[in-house]
Amino acid sequence: TIGLQVSSGLQDLSLRDRGGRRRDFHDLGVNTRQAMVHVQESKTGCSGRMIKLTTNHFRLTSRPQWALYQYHVGYSPEMEARRLRSALLFQHEETIGRTHAFDGSILFLPKKLESKVTELFSRTRNGDDVKITVTLTNELPPTSPTCLQFYNIIFRRLLKMLNLQQIGRNYYNPSDPVSIPNHRLMVWLGFTSSILQYEENIMLCADVSHKVLREETVLDTMHSLHSQVGEERFRDACAKELIGLIVLTKYNNRTYRIDDIDWDNNPKGTFRKSDGSEMSFVEYYKKQYNIEISDWMQPVLISQMKRKRGNIQGSVALIPELCSLTGLTDKMRSDFNMMKDLAIHTRLPPEQRQRELGRLLTYIQKDDNVQKELRNWGLSFDYKSVSFTGRVVQGEKIFQSGTMFDYNPQFADWTKETRGVPLIRAVPMDSWLLIYTRRNYDVANTLLQSLFKVTPSMGIRMNKPNMIEVDDRTETYLRVLQQRVTPDTNIVVCILSSSRKDKYDAIKKYLCTDCPIPSQCVLARTLSKPQTIMTVATKIALQMNCKMGGELWSVEIPLKQVMIVGIDCYHDTVSGRQSIAGFVASLNQTVTRWFSRCVVQSRGQELVDGIKACLQTALRNWSKWNKCLPSRIFVYRDGVGDGQLNTLVNYEVPQFLDCLKSIGTDYSPRLTVIVVKKRVGARFFAEIGGGLRNPPPGTVVDTVVTRPEWYDFFIVSQTVKNGCVAPTHYNVVYDTSQLKPDHVQRLTYKLCHMYYNWSGIIRVPAPCQYAHKLAFLVGQSIHREPNLMLSDRLYYL
Amino acid sequence: MDRNMQEEFTQIVKFQPPLYKQRYQFVKDLVEKYKPKKVADLGCGDCSLLWMLKFCSCIEVLAGLDICANKMKEKMHTLSPLPVDYLQPSERSLTVTLHHGSVAHKDPCMLGFDLVTCIELIEHLEESELKKFPEVVFGFMAPSIVVISTPNSEFNTLLPGVKLYRHPDHKFEWSQAQFQSWALETARCYDYSVEFTGVGQPPTGMEKIGFCTQIGVFLRKYPQTGESVQSEKPTEAVYKTVFKAVYPSLKDEKYLQNAVIREVTFTAEIMKHHFMLKRAECSDDPERKPKSQPPVDCFSDCLGKLVIEKNMEPFVSGNEVYIPLTTIFCFPKVKRLCGTFEKLCKLIAGKVTLSSDGSAVMFNIEHENE
Repeated sequence: TIGLQVSSGLQDLSLRDRGGRRRDFHDLGVNTRQAMVHVQESKTGCSGRMIKLTTNHFRLTSRPQWALYQYHVGYSPEMEARRLRSALLFQHEETIGRTHAFDGSILFLPKKLESKVTELFSRTRNGDDVKITVTLTNELPPTSPTCLQFYNIIFRRLLKMLNLQQIGRNYYNPSDPVSIPNHRLMVWLGFTSSILQYEENIMLCADVSHKVLREETVLDTMHSLHSQVGEERFRDACAKELIGLIVLTKYNNRTYRIDDIDWDNNPKGTFRKSDGSEMSFVEYYKKQYNIEISDWMQPVLISQMKRKRGNIQGSVALIPELCSLTGLTDKMRSDFNMMKDLAIHTRLPPEQRQRELGRLLTYIQKDDNVQKELRNWGLSFDYKSVSFTGRVVQGEKIFQSGTMFDYNPQFADWTKETRGVPLIRAVPMDSWLLIYTRRNYDVANTLLQSLFKVTPSMGIRMNKPNMIEVDDRTETYLRVLQQRVTPDTNIVVCILSSSRKDKYDAIKKYLCTDCPIPSQCVLARTLSKPQTIMTVATKIALQMNCKMGGELWSVEIPLKQVMIVGIDCYHDTVSGRQSIAGFVASLNQTVTRWFSRCVVQSRGQELVDGIKACLQTALRNWSKWNKCLPSRIFVYRDGVGDGQLNTLVNYEVPQFLDCLKSIGTDYSPRLTVIVVKKRVGARFFAEIGGGLRNPPPGTVVDTVVTRPEWYDFFIVSQTVKNGCVAPTHYNVVYDTSQLKPDHVQRLTYKLCHMYYNWSGIIRVPAPCQYAHKLAFLVGQSIHREPNLMLSDRLYYL
Repeated sequence: MDRNMQEEFTQIVKFQPPLYKQRYQFVKDLVEKYKPKKVADLGCGDCSLLWMLKFCSCIEVLAGLDICANKMKEKMHTLSPLPVDYLQPSERSLTVTLHHGSVAHKDPCMLGFDLVTCIELIEHLEESELKKFPEVVFGFMAPSIVVISTPNSEFNTLLPGVKLYRHPDHKFEWSQAQFQSWALETARCYDYSVEFTGVGQPPTGMEKIGFCTQIGVFLRKYPQTGESVQSEKPTEAVYKTVFKAVYPSLKDEKYLQNAVIREVTFTAEIMKHHFMLKRAECSDDPERKPKSQPPVDCFSDCLGKLVIEKNMEPFVSGNEVYIPLTTIFCFPKVKRLCGTFEKLCKLIAGKVTLSSDGSAVMFNIEHENE
């Protein structure tokens, strides 16, 4: 009914990249713009001042009248083996030429053969004659989806020719690594690349990428975990630390994801080989790779095979000793020192980033083999990146209790400006608990004193808390909570001595489900520095106020009767592979109060069914607050992976519409669905004073590097201290709002100002960040849906 | 050209494992027996034998030679080092090189090898090439061991579908007598001994037909008489190098230093961690009592033995923790990497923060909690 169609341009494509994955990472062929009449002519905004930008896109050029010729290759008698098929075909290189791409049945050539059907004769090693029929099936224009896929494959060939190592989807240079010995890490510099049809040109989008590798085997990691946690929690700790990680092996060039650990197996265990014989791992690795496995007691890692080989979906067993870890674990990400040490090497400022990129292009330009390959296909690149103009929209005014503030656009932060100004809605703290251990008695008092100093100017009325000293055991905390929390308690503050997750999880779980009271956990360490205590106390006071249902500031939202929705997902890879969707919807006109729910979905279930239910309750709550239903709904949908756009457009959006229909026959609000993507390859640089800088917050890009088949735009909303700022990509996949693109862009940017845990502009609209926070808390600590009593407060901040 | 595939169709039922695998296994066994350091595969084709040999830990130099560059290029990337080879450089050094050229031509890059393999090669040679072949391999390259395999034509009657030769590119296929007389003559001429064997057992009762693939193993009778032999035959390079990969190795100072720094830093970190834990034990944290100490694993075991000696214990002075290098050197992994204490000091100099006298690794603990 909504007229969204997905072109079938890719259906019959069979040319494959290494690994044979057919997933369409670039969401090619999802044409959503064609259904939106009001953006057929133009999807660009107009407000703001112009800014000169360069990007990391490079034009792909081809000869005039260039085309790619697709042939079907048939064999008579039929030949099964792909290698044999290739060998037989390439006996005729004088006919088909030396430049070709062949997957066993489909052949791509840069030139047209003389006749539409060419018959060739080859002889096998057995002396059998084989007739090969090469039939032209398609003449592909440069912009066809198949061609785009083809360019990407050719480009990957080039990177391989440059001796870069493929890890996952990207290519890295192993010869010049950066070693960070105190964390046993190694960083490889590499490149991401994708070639796509953009507004006017086919372009290569290339970016610098860093691969973090660990200079230790999985067995090493297991050993150090064992010494850290002890026998009792060892298996648990291994599962938490290792499952979901990607490993490289010592003997082949493949990556595997650890899906499970088989503790009942070990290297002496046997497996069935393809020929049916049984063999032990020890024997196999010795025989096949001459590798001696030294530890025969280690468990075996299990990796599920993603793709079906001969219709058998199997799993692979891996030996920890022979596997090296890649990437960072959540634990490592939360290690401040490690991330700081890493950032030195990975956060490249704009100039340096473009320089590294320039180096890749120089390699491509200078390498004879690469140039030959490109020439043979009739392709070449512009070696200078694309420049164009973007717009910087004006900064927003921040309103707080009748006062209006401007902020310095350079910093995109209003912490200083709003200090000492009453909050829009300050929730009193009449009855609250402060829980601490004996060791933290002083710290608890310091916090209390500081809170008494900072809260009055915010307008928060605060009584003395119930101070409770506990010993540092999880059970004690829980017992105290059970005994001392009453329905009148406004909030519970716990001072924790270490960042041990189990204690935090237990407290949060209890106070979010069984006993729904807002809670605030503070690490003692953060309160221990006298020079920062006032800043910290201010932040905590604001955060607590939001958790109790307070409101801090607002921006002007010109639309009336509008409900804003944010959705984000968290995928729990450890415990049972749950997926959690956080769902947040605004409740009032000023967009300062939010209704929050989440959907906990076990493996195999669809998240969208739960989201539909969330939307229904959100509408009910909105009408309760506003005495009517919203006439406009904006959905900001985050957490959509590469290649999932199709599903979202064809399944989720219709469900939203269904849901609205179910509210009432006479109810038809205007709906806008915007897919928000933080992880994009595009980078923008402002050309300022002959150098490259990060573009200022509010920079909007809706030309040149956007996609013609989408109603999409980029916004740079946040600022970064070091490195390059990443723009956020917004793709309006459904829109009956009739609003001009400029208004949708402005609204989106306004919403980036509304995240109360940060008095500044953030990377995504606030509802997305709230939804993310909620899903993360539930996925990490609570594992089930929190009590709905809390749903009108930002208790998860 | 594709030696591996030529017999697949007809014989896969007959030989288990397939014959080509048996040939490779034969070479591998030979490598295990003689432990050659430098191995060359003539007529290396798609490099699958080289790929198998790269896992043999005695080999430090591997070379391949083929007349068809495209065939080699098809899979030559399998001979490149893997990411893990960079992450955990091996003790041995390994260089793999592929050359494009003919076995009828001499090139100095083929000198000095211990083992030269010619698996299913000679039957592809034209008469003129076959004539030059012994002089190039036995006279010029003159390795300690040469392995030559070739089809045994007497066996062909047992192979369904084989009309004249097993492969259209074969220029000849020899009977046992023909091969042996050629081999004996070659061996005599260049002062080698030769033993005959093969893979692909004939069916019972037909033993006199011989192996499906016949193999001659040639051993040079006398040790090489030094460089004089080679210097008599100066030659120019005629092969074209199409591929070269140098594997990261601890023999290379760059990788050794990196490995030592990594091991020293990591060991010191762990020792500091254990040391700080011990100091914190007397605090009020009930969950840190010794009872919840992890059971002794190999690491803490090692640690236990080490700190007996008083002057080797880590110590605190001001805001710094010091871990003596002598203690770190006692760890087997560190010791094995460095060999001597002096080497350890030399390798980490300027790369790891040390105490002023250079005797201990130093950590600042001012900003750490607990």
